[in-house]
Amino acid sequence: MSIWTFNDLKGWDDKICQIASNYGLDWHPINYEICDYYEMIGHMSYHGMPSHYQHWSYGKSFERTHQMYNLGIEGLPYELIINSNPSIAYLMRQNPLYLQVLIMAHCTGHSDFFKNNRAFENTIPENIVAKFRAARQRIHGYVEDPSIGQDNVEEFLDILHTIRFQTERNGKKRRTQSEIKRSYVEKINSDKEGKYSNINLDAPVIEPDHDLLGFLLDHGSHFKNWQIDLIEIVKDESQYFIPQIKTKILNEGWASFWHYKIMHELDLPQSMHIPFIKSHNQVIRPHLGQINPYHVGFYIFEKLEKEEGLEQCFFTREIHNDESAIRCLLTMDDYRELNLFSYSEKKRSITIDEISDEEGWQRVRSDLIRSVGGNSIPMIYVSDISKSGNLILQHDHDGRDIDLDHAENVIGGLMKIWPNQVKFFTIIEDEPWEI
Amino acid sequence: MSIFRNHKTSADRSATDRSRHKKKIKDAIREGVHSIVSEESIIGKDGKKKIRIPVRGIKEYSFVFGASEKNRKPGSAPGKNISRGQSIGSRRRTRQGEEGAGKDKGEEFYDVEITLEELSHYLFDSLNLPDLEKKKFKNMIASRWKRKGYRNKGIRPRLSKKETLKNKVRRKKIAERIGIHDPEADGRFPFHKDDLKYRHIKPVPKESSNAVIFFIMDTSGSMTQDKKFMARSFFFLLYHFLRHRYNHTEIVFISHTIDAKEVSEDDFFKKGSSGGTFVSAGIEKCIEITQKRYHRSSWNIYAFHCSDGDNWPEDNDRALTLSKQLKEICQLYCFIQISSDAEDSTFWSNGGMVKTYAPIADSKFKLVHIPNKDKIWPEFSRIFGGKV
Repeated sequence: MSIWTFNDLKGWDDKICQIASNYGLDWHPINYEICDYYEMIGHMSYHGMPSHYQHWSYGKSFERTHQMYNLGIEGLPYELIINSNPSIAYLMRQNPLYLQVLIMAHCTGHSDFFKNNRAFENTIPENIVAKFRAARQRIHGYVEDPSIGQDNVEEFLDILHTIRFQTERNGKKRRTQSEIKRSYVEKINSDKEGKYSNINLDAPVIEPDHDLLGFLLDHGSHFKNWQIDLIEIVKDESQYFIPQIKTKILNEGWASFWHYKIMHELDLPQSMHIPFIKSHNQVIRPHLGQINPYHVGFYIFEKLEKEEGLEQCFFTREIHNDESAIRCLLTMDDYRELNLFSYSEKKRSITIDEISDEEGWQRVRSDLIRSVGGNSIPMIYVSDISKSGNLILQHDHDGRDIDLDHAENVIGGLMKIWPNQVKFFTIIEDEPWEI
Repeated sequence: MSIFRNHKTSADRSATDRSRHKKKIKDAIREGVHSIVSEESIIGKDGKKKIRIPVRGIKEYSFVFGASEKNRKPGSAPGKNISRGQSIGSRRRTRQGEEGAGKDKGEEFYDVEITLEELSHYLFDSLNLPDLEKKKFKNMIASRWKRKGYRNKGIRPRLSKKETLKNKVRRKKIAERIGIHDPEADGRFPFHKDDLKYRHIKPVPKESSNAVIFFIMDTSGSMTQDKKFMARSFFFLLYHFLRHRYNHTEIVFISHTIDAKEVSEDDFFKKGSSGGTFVSAGIEKCIEITQKRYHRSSWNIYAFHCSDGDNWPEDNDRALTLSKQLKEICQLYCFIQISSDAEDSTFWSNGGMVKTYAPIADSKFKLVHIPNKDKIWPEFSRIFGGKV
């Protein structure tokens, strides 16, 4: 039985809310659900969404977390909160009171970030839960539909999942086929030199398109209605999660920054204060050889507050994402302080390539930037549909080679849903490569 | 003000997805199971014990960057001294401890527990003992129950609703015809105790042909640990195949060096030995036992002989003659030579017993060559008509 009551939680929550609003935090109201660890893993597998469509990969995710947890390799994350209004957060029944208070303060920071950071502008938190629920129900309907069935739905989702993040990632709105054509009509009409005379508006006009899912919706006239719906569902989900991918460091940094501040003003009794400090250090400690987003994010906001004041912190949480923050806010001294380096896998061993000294830190910075946000996902774009209807995909090669085993399987999957061939071009070890 | 509430458990939300995932893993086991049969860990286990086998996870593919020199990743090491070129770990090795060749890297593995019986299902269901003939004396094996007619008395679970209802309908029709029941006026026509009929079952013996299998193993000094292990793996598969598929087979274990003896199952699989080799000794012993106990007129005889093929040359002629004899009385006689390709070309110019035997090999006398443990399953499967 837990050593705390709902009234304890409510009491501490009132104080947390008081302190947070005094500081000017502005968050969605939070609904805390008290659950046990098994339910917690269950929700984690579905990214905390109270309702989510079914797919075996979430079962796999559950099994793995459960296995890790039982082996003691991984503790459960302290907090799980989703970007919705009201925000939904989960508290594990087994956690002691000090940890619940810490999590609540942390969640307040997250919710404030969701509500105010620019990247989340279009996530529509008011109806996201309902949207996921509706998607789940529709997909369930397709599974039950004897003319579609589980295997077809599953296979189609398998394929969509392979390109789930190959969609609008930079907030730049994709132009649909009709918009592109309209712009060409204008160009052709005002064209005196005949520059555009070779453009055939009866065929699809393809411009480099980084939104593979959007492209399938736009050009996949062969898809059945349920397939179109699945593509839209997967695309919507990615659009919803991409802002979180892009702000992992700042979001966790902001939440940690605030739980630390709030906890210190809560006047915790000794019996709670010491374990809190311990947990806090546990969370924001650097992971040797890796980048711990809590650590780097916390460092960024601590430094900002010290050097430029709290107002600058609020400004940063509003306009920055991980990439821009790393680019603009960290100097060589910070790289030294954090002792950041870059490494790579060589044939025999993993060795350090660059360290943050005078001549190396900028290269370390560009390697760090390449690893944050969506930058760790290769950019693939549709370059053309050939005359015979083949889909031509191109990899925007930035120096990093793609994993061929993965790529072959992804392309293999796309072949199944594209009526003609799918060609993929990239560069491997400085040579052009075609799949 | 936040809201707190106890989470309403909506059953076990990931249960369906977990079972779909499990099913996928099961399919993967069926496909990948052959690669694990040569793993040392399963040899010598009995059927009930669970074995943990690594199963390649169901991979989710996406566009990702490969691990290479060009794909530099960031790390942190506050308070530590680091320098360029410093090694911070070795490349992940594959599970077998081989050099990672690139393709195995990052592979996810799950440990799945299955029993040998389940494993046997996956392995052996498509294989058969060839040419099982009906021999004179049938062996009675445990009878099984078969349905046979109906009785008026019986236990409740065997009540036959159909027969009971038929009886009632029959009785009702009669009652109507002789005028003691008027469907218009009387309405309900209830069941009577005499309507009840029960299914009757009776034991019937099931007949099956007799088969005896000879396991003959060379345990001479030239059979190194590795080779003995491979031989044992092969016999182990054979043993479980037979136990799995055939209710009544007798197995005779013979181990030989320059002379042969019949040994217990335990000794056969566990004991080592040393000395020179007379291949003929094992065959002779086998023929001797068939004459004493398993006459070919009433038994299907199968013989499997594992050796490294390194026979003493003076024994070759005798081995050849005896093998011809054995071949005549066997449904299938198999000689399995365990020797690496390198040995075949360097150590002996004659290519071992496989070469000696080659002229008399045919569909009843199969020669099998197993150069390494990866070949155990494919060769095994080939003998019993499985797909490789």
